[in-house]
Amino acid sequence: MEIEVQLTGSPIAEKMSPPRLAAHGAWLEFRGAVRDLENGENISALEYEAYPEMAVREIRRILESLAVKHECLAATVIHRIGIVPVGEAAIYVGIASRHRAEAIALLAEFMNQLKQGVPIWKRRALSVEVRPVNGGGQRTARPTLKSLDEAISEIQSRCPPLPAVCAPLTEASGRVLRETVCAPEDLPPFDRSTRDGYAILKDDESETFSVVDTLHAADWKPRQLKPGEAMRVATGAALPCENLRVAMQENVERTGDRIRIVRRETVSNISFRGEDLHAGEPLLPAGTKLNAGALAILASAGHVHPLVSPRLRVIHFTTGDEIVPPEQTPQPGQIRDSNSILIRSLLLNFPCDLHQAHLPEDFEKAKAEGGRRKAEIENADVILVSGGASVGEKDFTGALLEWLGFEIVFSQVNIRPGRPLIFGVAGGAGVHVSHVAFGLPGNPLSHFVCFHFAVAAALASLTGGKPPGFLRGRLAGKLDDKPCPRETLWSAKLEIGPDATARLHPLAWANSSNVTCLASANALIRVPAKRGSIEADAEVDFLPLKNSWQQT
Amino acid sequence: MRVLFFAQLKDATGCDTVELVPPPPDAEQLWAELLKKFPKLAAHRANARLARNWEYAEADARFTNTDEVALIPPVSGG
Repeated sequence: MEIEVQLTGSPIAEKMSPPRLAAHGAWLEFRGAVRDLENGENISALEYEAYPEMAVREIRRILESLAVKHECLAATVIHRIGIVPVGEAAIYVGIASRHRAEAIALLAEFMNQLKQGVPIWKRRALSVEVRPVNGGGQRTARPTLKSLDEAISEIQSRCPPLPAVCAPLTEASGRVLRETVCAPEDLPPFDRSTRDGYAILKDDESETFSVVDTLHAADWKPRQLKPGEAMRVATGAALPCENLRVAMQENVERTGDRIRIVRRETVSNISFRGEDLHAGEPLLPAGTKLNAGALAILASAGHVHPLVSPRLRVIHFTTGDEIVPPEQTPQPGQIRDSNSILIRSLLLNFPCDLHQAHLPEDFEKAKAEGGRRKAEIENADVILVSGGASVGEKDFTGALLEWLGFEIVFSQVNIRPGRPLIFGVAGGAGVHVSHVAFGLPGNPLSHFVCFHFAVAAALASLTGGKPPGFLRGRLAGKLDDKPCPRETLWSAKLEIGPDATARLHPLAWANSSNVTCLASANALIRVPAKRGSIEADAEVDFLPLKNSWQQT
Repeated sequence: MRVLFFAQLKDATGCDTVELVPPPPDAEQLWAELLKKFPKLAAHRANARLARNWEYAEADARFTNTDEVALIPPVSGG
């Protein structure tokens, strides 16, 4: 029998032609279409997944074995994978035979066997229409102002962890461990000497000992020591048997193959098997951010492909006609772009693939650019847009995000600086969030603040890590301010005082376009609304800025 | 040895592939190793079938380093 099998992501042709075999008298076709009801629920599409290599082989194998019983001439099977809307065919089967009976019998048995063993799955039912990316462009009423706490919790709830991946240790630094890793064996795996010296029986009171062998760090020589016997051991060497102690070489006199212990210690100088951890005990919990030490532990446990958060895909767009590249001399009215390098550096703490580009400050041109990058945008986990977030005539970030298919969750936060912060989400057909977007107010200080309290929270949530949280500390000097109706995130320099408390030096800034405080800020003090000045030594809430703090 | 996960098993493990070095020699030890790594797979063990190099594996199959093994949950094509 001639067999053709295809798995396809595209709709199956309305008309299929029968094989050109002169002998066939029957050409039987079957199309299985997606119904609008799945498990009693109204749906708009089904998503299919396949193990393609095996699915194709299994279909072929089933057809070949059935052809022995029902003599047919040719068969074509096409199965859709990916999203298949209601009404479209998910499977097509065409069978040619001499007479109709064989083809009908083969088709019936083939469909039964396909549903039992071919590795294709209905992955999920979609109940919401996919939102067209090329819609609208008009501003709709946006949700209003959020408080700082509301904004943070909204971001965290809209950023569920992305599916984890297995990565080699060399690629895993900075990612979040997504499985609990247990010790595969006792640590250390054997009793080992912590000194260079001589192993003897624990209770052996002999005057002198004969040295029967030497153990280097990599040696494995099990042997029962007898009274009066000693073994030369190096630090880290596996000891030959149980019930030993190690006499430090500094406390031993050696003459030829004999030793005398001149000073007896009370400690055994042995690191015992399982002393650090027993086999099966948790080594690292899920949620650990993998730093150098954690990676070393995974390596020592032989756990070389840990399950970790994926590398995030981030796109950063700058906007604004007044922006020139930092290497250019600005004309009057222009400023140099400092946000690109600011964002790039802030993202160093999060393993990600970053693409940066500039958007023209004209809605139609920006849409055209967005349209050209549509696939890139749909594949990204996080979109950041600098500038264009306040309500000036040319400010279009919110409208652009909506045009790109994002739902705006909020467009203002009641804080200073950083009030015009936009947060949007785009659903994978309303079933799960596929990506999030931030419109960051253009001033570098606002950028800095919004990145740390909002973008960092999103990145932590998406990777399954611990989101940044406020801590308590004391002011090292007076925070001089007039009462403001909004909460303030005040840049500060954090130090650990001699009494081991966090001490915060408030940094001077007048408005959100001040940048001089950026270089030394490694914390943000939370000043309540309407509070005004705060005296030195008062307790305050603050957000430590991880990557800034690590650099100081 | 590469082990692939599909459909709900991918949700349970959080990944679609895992590399097992050295390869567990048989199905029994493969499951033991996978359950240690992904405890959530336990709920699916009774229903999942094993495939070795794109064919359903016999119960007594032996695995080698170059095999591609897949855990196949109940299928629902067509």
